[in-house]
Amino acid sequence: MDIKPFTDTPIKFLEYDGKPVGDIASLGLTNEQLLVMYRWMVFVRAVDDRGYILVRQGRAGFYAQVSGQEASQVGSALVLTKADWIYGDHRSQGSQLVKGLKGSQWFAHVLGRMLDPTQGRMMPHGSGSNELHIVPPSSTVGNKITEAVGTAMAQRYRKTKDLTITYFGDGATSEGDFHVGLNFAAVYGSPVIFFCQNNQYAISVRLEEQTHTKTIAEKARAYGMDGYLVDGNDILAVYGVTKLAADKARAGGGPTLIEAYTYRYGPHSSADDDTRYRPKGELEMWRTQRDPINRFRAFLVGKKLWDDAKEQKLLDEVKAEVAEEFAKAEASSVPEPLTVLDYVYAKRTPHLEAERAELAAELGVS
Amino acid sequence: MATVQAEKKQAFTMVQAIRSALIDEMTRDDSVVTLGEDIGIRGGVFLVTEGLIDMFGKERVIDTPLAELGIIGAAIGMALYGLRPVAEIQFIDFLYPGFDMFVSEAAKLRYRSAGEFKVPMVVRSPYGGGVRGGSYHSQSPEAYYVATPGIKVVVPSNPYDAKGLLISSIRDDDPVLFMEPKKIYRTVKSELPEGAYEVPLGKASIVRDGKHATVIAYGAMVPLAQEGAVAMEKEGVEVEVIDLRTLQPYDTETILASVAKTGHAVLLQEAPRIGGYMGEIAAFLAENAIEHLEGPIVRVTGWDTPFPYALEKAYMPNVERLVRGIKKTLNF
Repeated sequence: MDIKPFTDTPIKFLEYDGKPVGDIASLGLTNEQLLVMYRWMVFVRAVDDRGYILVRQGRAGFYAQVSGQEASQVGSALVLTKADWIYGDHRSQGSQLVKGLKGSQWFAHVLGRMLDPTQGRMMPHGSGSNELHIVPPSSTVGNKITEAVGTAMAQRYRKTKDLTITYFGDGATSEGDFHVGLNFAAVYGSPVIFFCQNNQYAISVRLEEQTHTKTIAEKARAYGMDGYLVDGNDILAVYGVTKLAADKARAGGGPTLIEAYTYRYGPHSSADDDTRYRPKGELEMWRTQRDPINRFRAFLVGKKLWDDAKEQKLLDEVKAEVAEEFAKAEASSVPEPLTVLDYVYAKRTPHLEAERAELAAELGVS
Repeated sequence: MATVQAEKKQAFTMVQAIRSALIDEMTRDDSVVTLGEDIGIRGGVFLVTEGLIDMFGKERVIDTPLAELGIIGAAIGMALYGLRPVAEIQFIDFLYPGFDMFVSEAAKLRYRSAGEFKVPMVVRSPYGGGVRGGSYHSQSPEAYYVATPGIKVVVPSNPYDAKGLLISSIRDDDPVLFMEPKKIYRTVKSELPEGAYEVPLGKASIVRDGKHATVIAYGAMVPLAQEGAVAMEKEGVEVEVIDLRTLQPYDTETILASVAKTGHAVLLQEAPRIGGYMGEIAAFLAENAIEHLEGPIVRVTGWDTPFPYALEKAYMPNVERLVRGIKKTLNF
């Protein structure tokens, strides 16, 4: 595989029109695997579209769409094994679904229902699962970066071949956590992948106002690790670069920084108004000319693996699946008020017991 | 049996007792690792981890780059994975760069994940004044941490408790801030039995019986409380001294029983008064012991200032201030 760190332009395997430009054969992907990649991207976008509507309907308080970044999320997460750990951020639902979080669990999380493994305790984008090794993201941007390093240090200590990946945005690279985390990981040679989804905006602040380096990938040099700039809308390139970093981590080669250059279609979140800062035409350009799903579909069509009939069948399937997953979430109960006093500590302290009794009396339950 | 144990007892300083707890737990359980600045070959700036790197190797006695944020963050990540990290923060005043990680992540991951995740980690750190360390080496910031649900806060006052409380903290499934009173790191000695033992979290101890007034203290203020009790004894006043040992969760029963008996509560801390920990104990007593109180609840504390260097003596609570406080409530 001819993938080099610190390139000036993003590494890509596909042109925007889907024409192959990289050594795709070197990825060792079967046709079946290529179709799985495609299906995941379509599914993630469908889940996202459904999730976002919930805010419009007043049924959820918040939503941050990952639309536009599906290739970055899916392409990187498909490299992971069940034993690997994910520390994501508020735009990581794609990788979480690939890692095994069910659509129903995601929707239950957005709705604040018990089917959410974290029982609706965090506003949307804060769910996680111990079984799936998905650690709940934080809203304080960057907080998961040093935690991810700690987990990777522990994986190394336990002599496993597993790794940890942490997703964060371009804005997070200004936080101290980024610098401290990369430095720690490099010093210890920890098996961690720092995956920056550079969607070019931290809410409204553009990258050139965020940092004075031309790329984020080049910051890796300062810590003595490799940094890769990859086209985040090219799922094959994302997969290839992440696979390379993962193989290196598993073999004891230490950490890698990946910058996936991409673009978000939605506002920062449902609480944001992106028309105030996006130049006219920019969103439209990315949607129509650089969309990760269209691009990969064009590649599949070119390889004679895909056609309109298959596309329609897939869209119907995904639509039905999303509806089914959503129905399960909706059928799930809301948390009982008395549980507000649970899970502060392993056991309720005497103070919490007393407060629980007070709340029980207030609620008229026992 | 008692004789055999007595024969094996040795006198330990608090530093030696804490070191002994680390050795026992690291020997017993390979999920216990320790990380911090200068804890390896240097043995920690107070020598708590002296020789541990030779006993357990650098994979378990981890010298870190100089970044407290990284120490706390990495410890959380290790704990989530299933290890039981013990992080040393060189001085508790240096914990602030890791404050966000500790209070936003370590404290809350269990709660916000509905128990999916737990963070069994200990942050050990020397705190407190009286060592001519100025503001960055003398503060008592317990109130910040006690005010964060999800964290337990433990403060030993003698070597015996220090070892038993640290072992309990390491075995505990929640994040613990273990505050070490550095002023008495080497001034107080205890006889320690051989091997590991636990002192339960959340249980206070009565270090001196008395019937006229209760002084409640923790950490380095406990020896001062005892001095105050001795001073009052000469005036025929029997002061009961309670060592809280754990600030969160705290032992309401022991406090309540003592104040019900004496009718007078004097609350001693070296941190500033406003918003300080003893405000919580005062409020608890005001709410729950009003019928027993025969005088005002009195706080004896550091002043509401940053911690000074040259004026340290003027800042720190002393016996005179404590005696004045005890008399204030007794003479009400």
